[in-house]
Amino acid sequence: MVRLFPQVLCAAFGTTLFILYFLKHSSAKSLYLTITNDYWQIIFAFTLIVGVISFLKVNFNKIIRGEDRPYLLVGVLGMIAMPVLAFMWGIKGDSPFMWVFENVQVPMQATVFSLLAFFVASASLRGFRARSVPAAILLISALIALISRSDVLGYLPQPVHEFSDWFRSFPSMAARRAILIGIGLGSLTTSLRVILGIERTWLGKER
Amino acid sequence: MNKVHSRHLAFAGLFILVTALMLIRIQFKAFISPDTQNMFDYIDGLPEGSAIIISFDHEASSLPEMKPLGLAILRHAFAKNHKLIGLALLAEGTGIGYRQMQQTAKEYQKEYGIDYVFLGFKPQYIAAILSMGESIQSTFPEDYLGNPSSELQLLDQIHNYSSVVGVVSLADGSLTTHWMEYGRARYGIEVSAAVAAAMITTYDPYLASGQLRAMVGGLRGAAEYEQLIQRGGSGGRGMLAQSFSHLYVIALIIIGNVVYFKSRRKDASK
Amino acid sequence: MITAAIADSGWFDAGQLPTFIASLISIAIVLYTTYHRRSREKFKIREIAGLNAVEEAIGRATEMARPILYTPGWGGDIQRPTTIASLNILSHVAEKTAGYDCRLLFPTHDPVIMTVAQEVIKESYSRAGYPDRYRPDDITYVSSSQFGYAAAVEGLISRQKPASVFLLGTFEAESLIMAETGNIAGSIQIAGTDSTIQLAFFIVACDYTLIGEELFAASGYLSKDQSILASINAQDIMKVVMVAFLILAIASAFLFPTSEWWSF
Repeated sequence: MVRLFPQVLCAAFGTTLFILYFLKHSSAKSLYLTITNDYWQIIFAFTLIVGVISFLKVNFNKIIRGEDRPYLLVGVLGMIAMPVLAFMWGIKGDSPFMWVFENVQVPMQATVFSLLAFFVASASLRGFRARSVPAAILLISALIALISRSDVLGYLPQPVHEFSDWFRSFPSMAARRAILIGIGLGSLTTSLRVILGIERTWLGKER
Repeated sequence: MNKVHSRHLAFAGLFILVTALMLIRIQFKAFISPDTQNMFDYIDGLPEGSAIIISFDHEASSLPEMKPLGLAILRHAFAKNHKLIGLALLAEGTGIGYRQMQQTAKEYQKEYGIDYVFLGFKPQYIAAILSMGESIQSTFPEDYLGNPSSELQLLDQIHNYSSVVGVVSLADGSLTTHWMEYGRARYGIEVSAAVAAAMITTYDPYLASGQLRAMVGGLRGAAEYEQLIQRGGSGGRGMLAQSFSHLYVIALIIIGNVVYFKSRRKDASK
Repeated sequence: MITAAIADSGWFDAGQLPTFIASLISIAIVLYTTYHRRSREKFKIREIAGLNAVEEAIGRATEMARPILYTPGWGGDIQRPTTIASLNILSHVAEKTAGYDCRLLFPTHDPVIMTVAQEVIKESYSRAGYPDRYRPDDITYVSSSQFGYAAAVEGLISRQKPASVFLLGTFEAESLIMAETGNIAGSIQIAGTDSTIQLAFFIVACDYTLIGEELFAASGYLSKDQSILASINAQDIMKVVMVAFLILAIASAFLFPTSEWWSF
């Protein structure tokens, strides 16, 4: 029963939403919107509560134990401070909440994102080696793509742009489409397995 | 102290190069790519006063790349007197989107509630996209500033997707895919995108098949767009550093291969 | 005539008819292979290097007395099939780590994924016969923000120096940050994602990469469950149908340029 009820619920909602997607009658659309708009929003709100409680509980335990104390204290203080600022002064315009967002969170996030540039450099140094013929072809394609995206101050000859566009539009896209089709079919069968109850790992029970 | 690795030298070189070039404020004329021209022509060709949804679907982390794109498109749309409905499907896009709309609206003397509105953030983006297909006002009963949607003059004539010409999704991730999957496939809304450079190749198949009406991407796309609207911005200013950092990575790849072949020859001769 | 009648009834959206037919065909193929052919055939799939390396990765972690880090990426939530596929592999990995008494760290960006992962890992540990080795504090919600999550995982890898890192799920720009950090930490890395862009980063930075549908085949591959392998067989049948359709459509467009039956 403990396993059966969630499976039945999953199958019922999965099948219902699948059928509702193809119906245009106003009552069908209304039901579809109620499930997707209202139910999902309610579930989302509760998941946030779960997340916050879990975050605080785990981090408090680790702080008491002395593990990674400075990092965790910053995280917990941030999680407590932002809602306090939001409730007291709101989140619009020149509120302290927006100030912290624009002057602390945005630079921090941009900094972590900018790490990508450095890691691309180190990955390129290590990864693009002409070890074999396919690797050499990959290397040459990457070089052409890099040169064309850099534009070299606007002095790049037209044929290079055209070749790069052709390469992006045909060989590269053909490979990507093939992978996307495979992924699409994999997603389809995985979803069907979950709805039909063949796949039960998500229940945390016996497969 | 740890041993200095080749990657530390690579990191240091990149840091010095980009920092130095960002201090040099020179802009070069960019070659306008067909994609950017297509996006420009699309917004330029819309009848004056067309209602467009601008969805800020990106996080604060990609702001250096997305802000020039967002500002360029907003400026173009306001210059053509289009009516803009801003919203965000990611929480961080809310403050970012409102600020950008406010800034560009001021430049073109546009009035809130009449020429543009900002509806704010709606969680569960799939649900939000589907819901707006039925009714935008019931999806956003209030705007970002707390005004009831029913009291906004711009939204008087805007009921759902059939009342707008299209949506421009400013995305640094895969949210534009959901606009196409749910907005376009279900309700037929025209979707175009302004995306981070890393996402350009992801959306290429959709652009080629016509599911995406137009796309402009990355800092280079922003620089090209600024050139087309004849209005400078940080897109063009950042291109010098971006161009040379690409050349730097190319140099690293060549150096890596030279070292590799030399060591292979050394091993072979042993 | 039938489709016109259905469209006229005001219920069915005629514009979605091609999608509906394709969906029914796909469902029929999956049901056929799962419930009919399964009883008559034993399905096999080819060797997948990334999945064969799972055992090696866990063994390495045990020998080095370092933890394993497993994360499902920022790009997807629990309803995404890629996340479910990732949790299937997690179940198998958790069962092995329980047996070897190896620490399994699972940071995630979504509280629901965290809750499901806790159940999956707890059940795997019970199934392995070591419920006391389950550590709930190692399965954590870190941040819903993309780079908050990336920074947290990066910090975890840098400090804990896991012997093995599993990056399986839907990743976006944070993928290379984690993969390179794992590389710097000296971890063996097994990755798989449904994003074609991030796949390119993983191929460069990781030791093993599951490409495309290999991630979805993992559940059947690791468990050898015939029901799941049958649905993988269904995917192959659907691919054959698609290729046949493509060939017919190309031939038709070439021979009869004005034909449109294939476009929808």
